[in-house]
Amino acid sequence: MSSIETLYIAFFTTGFFVGFGHCMGMCGPIVVSFSLNLRPKGVMAPNLLYHAGRITTYAVLGGVMGASGAFTRITAGIGGLQKGVMIFTGLMIIVMGLGMSGWAPLGRIFGDYFSAQGAIHRGFRKLSGIQATATYLPLGMLLGLLPCGPVYTALVAAARAGMEIQNSFKAVLVGMGLMAVFGIGTVPALLMVARLTGMGWLRSRDMIYKIGAVLMMAMGIYFVVQGIRF
Amino acid sequence: MNKIHCATPKDRISFYHTRGAAFNKHRNLEVRMLTSGLRKAFLKPGEGLFRILFAGMILLSMVIYGVPAQGAEKGHSARVNCDIQHTSCTRELSDTRVVFDITPKPVKAMADLTFRITLTGKQPEAAPYIDLGMPGMQMGPNRVPLESLGNGVHEGSGIIVRCPSGKKIWKATVMVPNMGAAEFIFDVIY
Repeated sequence: MSSIETLYIAFFTTGFFVGFGHCMGMCGPIVVSFSLNLRPKGVMAPNLLYHAGRITTYAVLGGVMGASGAFTRITAGIGGLQKGVMIFTGLMIIVMGLGMSGWAPLGRIFGDYFSAQGAIHRGFRKLSGIQATATYLPLGMLLGLLPCGPVYTALVAAARAGMEIQNSFKAVLVGMGLMAVFGIGTVPALLMVARLTGMGWLRSRDMIYKIGAVLMMAMGIYFVVQGIRF
Repeated sequence: MNKIHCATPKDRISFYHTRGAAFNKHRNLEVRMLTSGLRKAFLKPGEGLFRILFAGMILLSMVIYGVPAQGAEKGHSARVNCDIQHTSCTRELSDTRVVFDITPKPVKAMADLTFRITLTGKQPEAAPYIDLGMPGMQMGPNRVPLESLGNGVHEGSGIIVRCPSGKKIWKATVMVPNMGAAEFIFDVIY
């Protein structure tokens, strides 16, 4: 087995274990927020699209790191964008929590579980002009830019792997591939979170739903505060 | 002529049964009102109890997300054993002294850093390396390979990444082949 093949396995296993050890805590609330807004039996397709978007962004970043090997310069360049994405994510989770609880006339954003009754929901659908499910792909691509420690660590390793390859095109491909398998490794843990959120007994209880909305808003505030401080 | 009627034991039982039924009916009504009130308070937003619950949940969320993070940070602060921002740090392995240093100072996250290990005493057969991580959070493997510069000095470049949680305490585990590991826990500037 070549050293590159070993790296692919290492990146996948790292992603898998980091998914359970880190992502469930840090990114789990985002997945829960989406999933609570979805039809119980329709949780998987939007989540898979969201992860596909996230993995696409990781792969693009990995390709850039593999080609340049300049981790600090690139991350410094996208630092402002990442800060913005983190604040945006926090605000989005707060709005989704408010809409889900019914305390604000917003409807269920990004979801198709409930009828479109909120202004933002209707506007969003008109704006996108496509089924709400498909919006999870670009959303995943955007949220793939969220600042994340393990993703940074993987990018450092991808940049290092790229520096050891003389052919720059091959370095791009290796960087992309490594980050893609890392992202794929994180998917099982987050899909498990989404699946648990889709459990019928949980959704059938209005109070649990409302508590979930409150926790979502708290998490959204946490994201906004951390985004401002980032 | 009116006869004085004395209540027989049977009458008394009947009387208490009637009182008991009325009491039970009243109590059931009270319970129904209470549970109805609770149901309204819990299920309809805007009711007083739900507002209390809402505030409670926000506080609980702050406790869940805030206190453990701060507490963990404080707990790890107590474990910081290396003032890397100002000086190098030393550990003793069985037959070897390990001196650990990072430059440039101040040591910042998301910056290119040089890691230097100086070994005095017995030297290892293979080059040492450093594993970077956070004591309280899994961040993925971040290994800094070191090259020998001679005289027991080993150097390598690496990056300490930034954790969006705001935690700033990192751990460097210096692995010296066949001799053991030395742990250095230190603060990093974000």
